[in-house]
Amino acid sequence: MIAQEEGIKETQKTNPYVVVKNLVTQFFTSKGIVKALDKVSFEIYPGEIYGLVGESGCGKSVTSTSIMDLIPDPPGRIMGGEIYIDSFNILSDLRSLARIKIRSETDVKIKRSKRANKRHNEILSQIRGNKISMIFQEPFLALNPTMRIGDQIMESILLHNILSISEGIIKRNNINSSDLDKFMKNLNSETDPLRRKKVINNFVSEFGIPEFEESLNSLIENSTDDSYVKTEIINMIQDNKRDIDMKLITEISQYYSLKQQLFQLTLDEIQAERTGETAIRNQKHAQIKSMRSYINNKFFSLRIKLRFAEKHYMSPFRKEARRRAIELLSLVNIAGPEVVVDSYPHELSGGMQQRAMIAMALASNPKMLIADEPTTALDVTTQAQILEIIKDLNELIGMAVLFITHDLAVIAEMCDRVGVMYAGNLVEETSTTEIFNDPKHPYTVGLMNSVPRADKKREKEIRLETIPGTVPNLISPPSGCRFHPRCKFAMDICSLKKPKLVEISPQHKVACFLYSDESEVD
Amino acid sequence: MELRYYIIRRLLILIPTLFGLILLTFILLRAIPTSDLIASFVSQKANATQRAVEKQQAIAYLGLNQPLPVQFLYYLNDIIHGNLGVMYTGFYTGPVIGGISKFLPYTLELTIATVILSILIAIPLGTYIGARPNSPSDAVGRIFSLGIYAMPVFWLALLAQMVFGKNIGILGSYGLPISGEGYPSTTKVPWIVNNVSEPTHMLLVDALLHGNLTIAYSAFIHLILPVAVLTLSILAGLLRFIRAGMVDTANQEFVKTARAKGVPEKLVLKRHVRKNALLPSVTVIGLLMAGLLGGVVVIEDVFDLRGMGRLTLATITGLNIQFYGVAGTVLFFGIILMITNLIVDVVYAFLDPRIRY
Repeated sequence: MIAQEEGIKETQKTNPYVVVKNLVTQFFTSKGIVKALDKVSFEIYPGEIYGLVGESGCGKSVTSTSIMDLIPDPPGRIMGGEIYIDSFNILSDLRSLARIKIRSETDVKIKRSKRANKRHNEILSQIRGNKISMIFQEPFLALNPTMRIGDQIMESILLHNILSISEGIIKRNNINSSDLDKFMKNLNSETDPLRRKKVINNFVSEFGIPEFEESLNSLIENSTDDSYVKTEIINMIQDNKRDIDMKLITEISQYYSLKQQLFQLTLDEIQAERTGETAIRNQKHAQIKSMRSYINNKFFSLRIKLRFAEKHYMSPFRKEARRRAIELLSLVNIAGPEVVVDSYPHELSGGMQQRAMIAMALASNPKMLIADEPTTALDVTTQAQILEIIKDLNELIGMAVLFITHDLAVIAEMCDRVGVMYAGNLVEETSTTEIFNDPKHPYTVGLMNSVPRADKKREKEIRLETIPGTVPNLISPPSGCRFHPRCKFAMDICSLKKPKLVEISPQHKVACFLYSDESEVD
Repeated sequence: MELRYYIIRRLLILIPTLFGLILLTFILLRAIPTSDLIASFVSQKANATQRAVEKQQAIAYLGLNQPLPVQFLYYLNDIIHGNLGVMYTGFYTGPVIGGISKFLPYTLELTIATVILSILIAIPLGTYIGARPNSPSDAVGRIFSLGIYAMPVFWLALLAQMVFGKNIGILGSYGLPISGEGYPSTTKVPWIVNNVSEPTHMLLVDALLHGNLTIAYSAFIHLILPVAVLTLSILAGLLRFIRAGMVDTANQEFVKTARAKGVPEKLVLKRHVRKNALLPSVTVIGLLMAGLLGGVVVIEDVFDLRGMGRLTLATITGLNIQFYGVAGTVLFFGIILMITNLIVDVVYAFLDPRIRY
């Protein structure tokens, strides 16, 4: 069973979902430049759980916030590198965002380009929450205290899922006998009751009639006459015909699909800008301009309507979004989602809040979730529940997870692959079993020896080890390998050159001169 | 629905507060030496024995020979029956309650216009500069608000008169009216009785109710300078608070969450930052209201306007201190403040679900 799963994961590893290449993030403070990340590179494949582990202040959280491009600016900035999310480099236009003059450690002039930043934020707001989501350490701080849980989830749904919702509404309205024939045919081809249920589930979610799922189930169980079932379905929909202005729905769906195209064009433009193809870039730019003015003209009245009475005109969408929010809340095992959806964050416990956060992160079926120490602020039992939910979602939806923690037990429990970070560097990267059985980097070895292990026989009287010293101040990090001042095996070369992260055995990468002579070229 | 219960509870709390306020004004009243009050009941021409008799009569009439708690009950009884005593001043002579009902509306007109105007200006402006901390526009906003904050309101009023005032300002005779002079209350229309308009006693509102646009226009331009000065005086503090709130909220974790959800930058500010940033400012508005009532007394004096401020001043600036006038006006200012704070609390509860306990 496990081997089978691994087999599936192995085949998926062809195309990584997130690629981080040479990521450099710095913070400009009055005391100097904090080199928080120094050329961090790793990949995350679809469907895997990737753990990042290290002491506090190692740059784990900075890595995750950099991937979302949520580094608070000022004081922080991503200074270089590439982050590919779903094979689009979100740092393509990094050079155009700001001009930075570094005169000395404490004297840095940053000139931000308003226009480039605006475009950058527009693009990222389409990616964040849609392709990649994030949950945070303290759920009670991470939820807006003045908004209902449901509204916060609905906000996310309405931002990214307007098109799919409107599709459902239109399909429901235009349902005809051929659709039903197809459904009956699909249903009759399946004999397994579970599969039949799945077919019904797909059908109701495709046609936006999820409220009929249960009655449809019982109807099909009790009746064998296809034509009777068909007329019953039609009747059900007719009886519950909602008073929806279909013209408005089609208009809104057109508006949003055009906006989607506009977004794609902007991505193309940036790609062209990056590769330096001026002709293509100019062509795309002109296309964007004409398209934008076309949208502005054609949907002028709609935009006015949405601007001033959004709640009224979007009400069918809000209804559907609310239903989805309740569904999401029950997906993360919240009891009584109908009540929770209308409550405020302060009325929930920490575990419930974190679940609500996860529900919010799942709002538009992202392929990747970043969990930044999601259980640190929770008590142990809740912690186990939250971890289980994340694990389940990973298996159920096949969502990749970047899991950040300093708890090695959690890593052992959750992750497929682990990256060990130290002082802004990735020092070791391998599978979870490898890292516990055969850690290579002296820092990883130190980490492993500092926690009690139940799976290893200990000789009597052996004490837990600690790594001497502390994480260095990253304003003036040690030269060469950043770990050498604390390392038992430090050699002369360690303080002179920085080791490169190299593959010493299949799927096992280490950055240490004990295993390889390769150093990073500056 | 919780909000409704909160409002009811808050209204119930109002009753003991009101009682405390009445008790406080009573104690204040009794703390003043009563000899002045008694003397006003004694005729100066009479001889010593007659004066002594009159004095005793006055003491008996005023109830000063009764124990203090009994006196308080008399006072409470009078207040419940709407009897706040009588005052004799050059500005107004008659029952205190009548004076208040005549002059309070004008002051309300001033303060409400001020509060609305300052909120309308402070929220967008504070949001704008608070969203761009340390930018040039922020620097201008901060210098402006600090500068205005440091100016006393009467000085600001005098300055405004000297710049924009009619005949003394740079605009010459085209300037704005600076005093009650030329105020159209003396115009002969049937709905203005004894310089006070009917039925709401707010000239602008009454003129509009009666459809007299000339008087309405005149009333309006008379309001501009006082309202502008009062607005400036509270705008500065408000602006600083909203800006600080914005900067503080923008660094909160949930704003990061909103960005991580993919909310566009504009909506992040509108939906997530602004609402939370306004919470502390709402409380500040309540406090500023107290300052505003103080400011109104000064402004009405500087601009020679006929409102509660003038009435209050008249009670203490005449030959004799008008005991009942002082007690009545203080009580009314207290009640206004209580109501404002009630409104502020309700607005706060409406904005912040956490405090609807």
